[in-house]
Parts: sequence; C-alpha cells; structure tokens
Amino acid sequence: MSFEPKIVGILCNWCSYAGADLAGTSRKKYAPNMRVVRVMCSGRVDPTFVLKAFQKGADGVLVCG
Amino acid sequence: MASVRSNKNIELMTYSEVSDVSGYVGNFKVQIKQKPRYVDISKCTGCGTCQEKCPIKADNEFDAGLGKRKAIYTPFPQAVPNVPVIDTTHCTFFLKSKCRACEKFCEAGAINYEQKEEIVEIEVGNIVVTTGFDSFEPSVIKQFGYGVYDNVVTGIQFERMSNASGPTDGKIVLKDGTAPKSVAILHCIGSRDENYHKYCSRVCCMYSLKFAHLLKEKIHGVTVYQLYIDMRCAGSGYEEFYERLQEEGVNFIRGKAGEITNLAESPEEQGKLMVIVEDTLIRRKLRLPVDMVVLSCALEPRADSERVARVFSLSRKADGFFLEKHPKLDPIATMTDGVFIAGCCQSPKDIPDTVAQASAAAARVLSMISKGSVEIESATAVVDEEHCAGCKVCIDLCSYKAITFDEEKKVSHINEALCKGCGTCVAACPSSAILGKHFTAEQIMSEIEGVLA
Ligand SMILES: Cc1cc2nc3c(=O)[nH]c(=O)nc-3n(C[C@H](O)[C@H](O)[C@H](O)COP(=O)(O)OP(=O)(O)OC[C@H]3O[C@@H](n4cnc5c(N)ncnc54)[C@H](O)[C@@H]3O)c2cc1C
Repeated sequence: MSFEPKIVGILCNWCSYAGADLAGTSRKKYAPNMRVVRVMCSGRVDPTFVLKAFQKGADGVLVCG
Repeated sequence: MASVRSNKNIELMTYSEVSDVSGYVGNFKVQIKQKPRYVDISKCTGCGTCQEKCPIKADNEFDAGLGKRKAIYTPFPQAVPNVPVIDTTHCTFFLKSKCRACEKFCEAGAINYEQKEEIVEIEVGNIVVTTGFDSFEPSVIKQFGYGVYDNVVTGIQFERMSNASGPTDGKIVLKDGTAPKSVAILHCIGSRDENYHKYCSRVCCMYSLKFAHLLKEKIHGVTVYQLYIDMRCAGSGYEEFYERLQEEGVNFIRGKAGEITNLAESPEEQGKLMVIVEDTLIRRKLRLPVDMVVLSCALEPRADSERVARVFSLSRKADGFFLEKHPKLDPIATMTDGVFIAGCCQSPKDIPDTVAQASAAAARVLSMISKGSVEIESATAVVDEEHCAGCKVCIDLCSYKAITFDEEKKVSHINEALCKGCGTCVAACPSSAILGKHFTAEQIMSEIEGVLA
C-alpha cells in the first residue's frame, strides 16, 4: 500500500479557498488528501493551529493565502 | 447624456477624474480632480465660433485620427455639455503666448486662460465604476501593416466613418476618397491569440457582421469577406443576423489571416492589398485582393486600470479586467462594500449586456439607499476591553484601518462597518483579547480535529 499523507489545508476565504471552490464548480479534480479548513485570511492562522494539526495526526499542513 | 445632465437629481461632472477615495459604504469621501477647460461653462453658449476661428488643427482622437479638430474643440457634435476645451499641447497661446483668437471672437466672454485644476471633495454612499475598455492597438502585429498601408483600418475607425456626423459624413471611403469595391474584415485581432490576449472579446463577431451589413447597404455591389476563427453569435436574434448576412452574399472564410501585403504577384493584384489566409474548411491557401481591410481589434483593460483599481480598492482578474464579487452569484458587486462595477471594465460585453449590468448596479444602489442602513458581515472581530492591554499591535496590522485606539479607556476599538473579519488582529493579539466572531480559536481547533478524525 502506498503512503497517503493526511494534509490539513488552512485556506484563505478570498484566494485559495475561492480557488478550491472554483476547482469544484469547474469540475476539476484534486487529490483528496488535503482536508480544508477555511479562515477569512491566512493572517488568522495562529501557530497553535499548526501544532494542533500535527498533534492530531496530520502529516503536513498547508497554509495558503 | 443630455437627459442625465438636465435631471436635477444628477450632478454630471465631465472632464473630471476621481483621484482618491476614502471611507466605507455609506460614508465614502471622494476627491475629484476637475481639469481646466479654459472655457467658463456658465458663460459659453456653445455657438462654435471659437472653433471656426482657431487657426490650429490637430488629429481628432474621437475619430481615431481620421479627422481633424481645432486646438479649441468639442470631441464630437453630441458632446455633453456642448462646451469646448482648449488643448494646451497644441494651442499657440499656451505654447508661445500668442494668438488669443478664441478670446477675441467669443461674444460671451467665456474664454479664461487662467483656469486652474480644481479638487472637489464629495460624500457619497455608493460608487459604480463603469470605466469601459481600450481598443487593442494593432500596429504591434507587424504582418498586418496597420499604420503602414493606408487602407488597413481598425473597427473603431470604420465606426467613425459609418457615423453620419463623423469625419466622412457617413461614407465608407478609401484614403483617396473613393468607395472600396472589396473589403476584408479580419476577426480576433489581438483576441484568442496566445501572443496578446487569450480571451475572446465577445463583441467582435457581431460588430463585424454589422460592418458587412453596413457595407452592403452603403456601397452597391461591394464584395465583403469575413475571416473568422469561429463565429460566435450567441444572443437573442444574433444567429438570425448571421444567417441574414449569409443571404446578403457576404463571403465567410474560416481562417485567421497570416499576412497583409501590397506586393502583387499578378496584374489583377496591382494596387490591391492581398490578404493571405488559409481557408481551413477547404484546406487551401488563398490570396484575396481587396481595397480595404478592417481589423476587428480586441477589447482590452484600460491602460490606467491598475491605478483606478487602487483608487477604488478593486481587484483585477488575470486578464486585467476588474474582479466581481462572484462570477455567477454577484457579478455586479466587488470585494469592497458599496463599490459596484458595470460594463466592459468587468469584461468585454456588448451594449445590451452593459445596460443590463448597469441597471442592476443602479438597482443595488437604490435598494441600499431606500433601506437607509447596511447589513454588515457578521464575522467581524471585537475587542474584549477587560483583557486588552493597550499594546496597539493590532492597529498597524489592520489592512482596513478599522482599529482605533480609545485614549480614555486605553484599549483598542474596532469599527465593525470597516472590519472585514480577516482575523489578523485576532491571531496577533498577545493577550488573546480579540474575538473573531464565527472563527474563534475553539471553532477552528475543533474543525482541525474534525477533518483529522
Ligand atoms: C468597433 C466596435 C464596435 C462595436 N459595436 C457594437 C454594436 O454595434 N452593438 C453593441 O451592442 N456593442 C458594440 N460594441 C461594444 C460596445 O462598445 C460596448 O459594449 C460599450 O461601449 C461598453 O460600454 P461601457 O460603458 O462599459 O464602456 P465605454 O463605452 O468604454 O465607456 C467608458 C467611459 O468611461 C470613461 N472613463 C474611463 N476611465 C475613466 C476615469 N478614470 N474617469 C472618468 N471617466 C473615465 C471613458 O472615457 C468612456 O467614456 C462595439 C465595440 C467596438 C470596439
């Protein structure tokens, strides 16, 4: 079995989350490994969010904004 | 335009430009730069004597260089208000302190060389931006010879020629004043082209058909070619118009021209412009000898759109046009509350679509005004005054200038009408004294746990 990482994506509402949304409405596929958490701005991201994700078993955290 | 000017509820400011916008929905402060005309609007009667007497001629920009105007001029006969302006880059008085002919002959005494630029500040609740488009400049595509061959013209130039009050009184003519016997109309100049604009300019197929129809109507027996990549005639009655043009005997050739040349290869080609194109339906290379070529040029974002976007806090799309709030659900609003967009500044579109979008923008503004209050996002940030240490870290971080410092209480205060709920202050507050409504730390933490469960 190949390694399937669990990635938490913390995405900005206006750009990257909008991009993920657009991928959906455009019927484009992306890997299901990324699990999305929406924030209103990447500026909202507190370092403890990232630590929390690792603590709960994430293999990677992607902060986009 | 005339009825807009005479409407007592509308103040029309021409020859003016917005230079700065501050504030927020319901409370915008707008600075407007009024350029000097050197003619007093309140005195000028629009008689036109000054334009007759002015000895200096310059290219008329409105006629896309086809006609001439004076150094004191109105851009076109229907201009509102019917008051001329002095072009200081051509006027002899401004260049050499001589002449004053317009002042001498103006019976109303309306000429005022001393006028200065003025900045006016007004307060408005909403803003609609309708700054339109620029036409693609085709001389950069060298193989079409625009600017080299006299009778290669742009769509805008063709429009001006066919206008009854234009430079040729509505006649379609070659540079030598005679009517063309054959005309090729080339679609997608600068549009659907990897080198210039990838997008489709959407209106060119239809206006190219209109040009063919005008040619057939105005010049008996004229041969017209349409060179297209795809015919895009989507819209009420548009496909029917395309069929009608086929019946009128217009030649449709599917192919994009590769070159325009005046090098004749046979006696019949002497004195003609040869349009070289591959007809992709019959897979054959053609040389079409014509008298005139019309380039249907792309509609592109205005050259100053970056600056205008900054003034009105608008975002732009990858192609440079202004970005709407949502492509399907909110194509009129923008990310800035109270600022709306309509027409070609948002994307290329024809007049019916522009009018529809502009009417929608007007309706949106009216509904805001009649309600008298605005709904703001619920996801804003609030300061817990008990815990705020007054360190002011949040104030400089706020991109929306929504946070001020209450000197009396020594705590930060967030204006909820300005706050966009981005949460930057929430994350940055060293005392965790700011609450981001709907995006609290507990909520986001639970969400992270949830997605990993
Ligand atoms: C050759 C050609 C032929 C066409 N023929 C047709 C046709 O037959 N039928 C049809 O439906 N459509 C046609 N169109 C499309 C039509 O021109 C557009 O749909 C229409 O002009 C869009 O209107 P608008 O108000 O968005 O922009 P515009 O007409 O471009 O108007 C924008 C206005 O804003 C002003 N402006 C710009 N920036 C500022 C600023 N910073 N401050 C103050 N003022 C500013 C400009 O001077 C301009 O007057 C044609 C287009 C072309 C190029």
